[in-house]
Amino acid sequence: MSEQYPALLVIVPLLSALVISVAGWVNKRLCFPIAVAALGVAAWSSVGLLFRVLDEGVIVYKLGGWSPPMGIAYYIDYLNGLVLPVVSIVALLNLISSKKIVEQQFPDKAGPFYTLYVLMVTGLLGIVVTGDAFNLYVLLEIASLTGYGLLAMGEERAPLATLNYLYMGTIGACFYLLGIGYLYIVTGSLNMVDIARLLPPLYQSKAVLAAFIICMVGVWLKMAFFPLHAWLPNAYTYANSASSGLIAPLMTKVMVYVMIRLILTVFTPKFVFNTLAVHDAVVWLAVIAIVMGAVLALKERNLKKMLTYIVVAEVGYMVGGAWLGNRAGLTGAVLHIVNDALMTLCVFLVVGNIVYKIKGYAFGDLKGLFAKMPFTMGAFVIGALSIIGVPPTCGFFSKWYLILGAIQAHQYGFMVALLFSSLINVVLFFRVFEIGFYEPFSDHEGHEHHPAVMAEAPLTMLVPLYVVAISLILVGLYTGDIVNHIVQFVIPKGFM
Amino acid sequence: MKIIGLIIVVVTGALLIYAAADFPAWSDPASPASTYLSPYFIEKTMEETSVPNIVTAVLADYRGFDTMFETTVIFSAGVVCFFLLRISRREEEEPETRYYRHVLTGVTIQLKEGYKIPPSADFERIDAVWTPPDLIIKTGCRILIPFIQLFALYVIAHGHHSPGGGFQGGVILGASVILFAISHDLRTAVRRMSEKLIGILCAVGVSIYAGTGALCLLLKQNFLDYSALAGVLHVDPITARSHGILMVEIGVGIAVLATMIWIYNNISSAGRYRQGL
Repeated sequence: MSEQYPALLVIVPLLSALVISVAGWVNKRLCFPIAVAALGVAAWSSVGLLFRVLDEGVIVYKLGGWSPPMGIAYYIDYLNGLVLPVVSIVALLNLISSKKIVEQQFPDKAGPFYTLYVLMVTGLLGIVVTGDAFNLYVLLEIASLTGYGLLAMGEERAPLATLNYLYMGTIGACFYLLGIGYLYIVTGSLNMVDIARLLPPLYQSKAVLAAFIICMVGVWLKMAFFPLHAWLPNAYTYANSASSGLIAPLMTKVMVYVMIRLILTVFTPKFVFNTLAVHDAVVWLAVIAIVMGAVLALKERNLKKMLTYIVVAEVGYMVGGAWLGNRAGLTGAVLHIVNDALMTLCVFLVVGNIVYKIKGYAFGDLKGLFAKMPFTMGAFVIGALSIIGVPPTCGFFSKWYLILGAIQAHQYGFMVALLFSSLINVVLFFRVFEIGFYEPFSDHEGHEHHPAVMAEAPLTMLVPLYVVAISLILVGLYTGDIVNHIVQFVIPKGFM
Repeated sequence: MKIIGLIIVVVTGALLIYAAADFPAWSDPASPASTYLSPYFIEKTMEETSVPNIVTAVLADYRGFDTMFETTVIFSAGVVCFFLLRISRREEEEPETRYYRHVLTGVTIQLKEGYKIPPSADFERIDAVWTPPDLIIKTGCRILIPFIQLFALYVIAHGHHSPGGGFQGGVILGASVILFAISHDLRTAVRRMSEKLIGILCAVGVSIYAGTGALCLLLKQNFLDYSALAGVLHVDPITARSHGILMVEIGVGIAVLATMIWIYNNISSAGRYRQGL
């Protein structure tokens, strides 16, 4: 059975999404259990795959029995072996938490919601697991399309914000496709490893250069890298919390994975860092992304929107780390994919709980929240400390590697930006703590002082939240093992 | 802002033109795309899959996995339309006033506060603003639709030999039903093909594709390796590939057919399923 894990990982969610869609017409109560079972199998397979990779090295799975480059193949190496469990587990935890939100907000549409949810996870897993550049695009289409649908369901302004995202996202995906088209014209292949094998004689070709630029800009659009980030805050803020809890942690991180995959496997570091040598400029862009994300977050008086700007800043961390072009920087970037997915999930689950109980997420709604929802806010503190980068939470360690990489690459601007954004994060989160802790819970200009009645979110929302919060600390404590056994093999030999 | 946009467009265009300078010449037989994989497909397709149409073989077999997800993209589009647009009865504001028209005499009856007439051939439900369907158009379309559908089935079945296949055939089939809905009205069309049936057909279509793949997996081959079906179909592995392609093409056809109608129903009536366009 374990040799079929690569197929099961994607096929089980796909088939389950179809079953959920039918169940939505027959008996709505079946949808949620099927979705949980599907993502459970996906999580199981992805963890199984990671252990197989640790034992045996790279796994190749030929779909349809055709060997590449004729057919499509899945390659699982240390990089996607690490990202796959993160994607499937984050999706599973948020799914469990979303049950109550769906029941509260759109009980009639549970069928299509869970269908789209599971399909989106299928798309994300497919993007991460594939070794074929065009197959990646097809899965990207699925993940994006279902993502637009999920995000558009929300507040009154959600459809418009999502339409904006749809325009930008479509352009991004088209750019990626165009880049792959250029590569196909000059190499004749769509398989990533095969393209990398055929490219070296063409490194001076203008078409390859253009393909690289277009692919990168496309991927940056999808991940909301700074000048191209404008769609993200509104789209994520106005969506319902079940959807934003899935998409905010995963979509940007998966696109960062795609960028690293393109750099490492398709175009190879030799081309990107030696032939092109534009990495200094990209790191400076990342510096601007981090600073602007932090400053814009400071401006917000609204918890969810503030968090979306932090997502924008975090994208800057990962892009900058990957483009530092040294071992420590790349280690930090890969590690930060894992950590940031968990951290973002943690804080967005908190927002989900708050919206579920309070029906709002403006700073004014947060007054007295530590008394009202102590467990939720307890987890929020852990998530916030991790985003700030306080040891022993995992956020500290990836930031440590990033700063180390910045110093080794003599990119002191990037180092300063990282420290600056950490300081801003301290201000951001302690402002929220202050409102939640010291200001009494009150309605209408503070006339009515309610006694602090505890109104905590239901257990199905608290348990996933605490699993994530504890995992933030555990991942932090085991960072050394993750780096020694997995991440160091991600980085190709000869990389400084 | 407009000037910035213009500059970006010009720069992007210039980059693409700049890159095109290094492309192989137009229709150059020595270009990598023509020399690398194409000869393999041209020489081996017939002997490996026994499908004369190379495009179909590449689409549904060599790269069948991509095509399965393309079908899923269409399926998701249908689900998204339904998810966002459909207005459930609970969300409707007040108990609506219903209008019925006696088909033979043309007399219109108004019923208030949710009273209704059981469905029968004598009365049809209409909207407050009702445009009578034109008899000539109705009759003309009734004659056309069977032929359109027959052609669609031909396109699906003949994908092995000529241009065509599941996507094209499914679109033509869906268009025939949409033509029916336009020439009559949406209520009549939904009576013929209910919302539930369409929603389930969508999922069934994709399931036929993914299920064929999963069947190969259960028969101890890799996912979508149709040669595993040889034992089930009692043919040799090569013919099994050809049959496998036909199976998934049928699945694609059903999924595309149902999704087309589903999207049309939801968009044309703004999710209310009344008279429609």
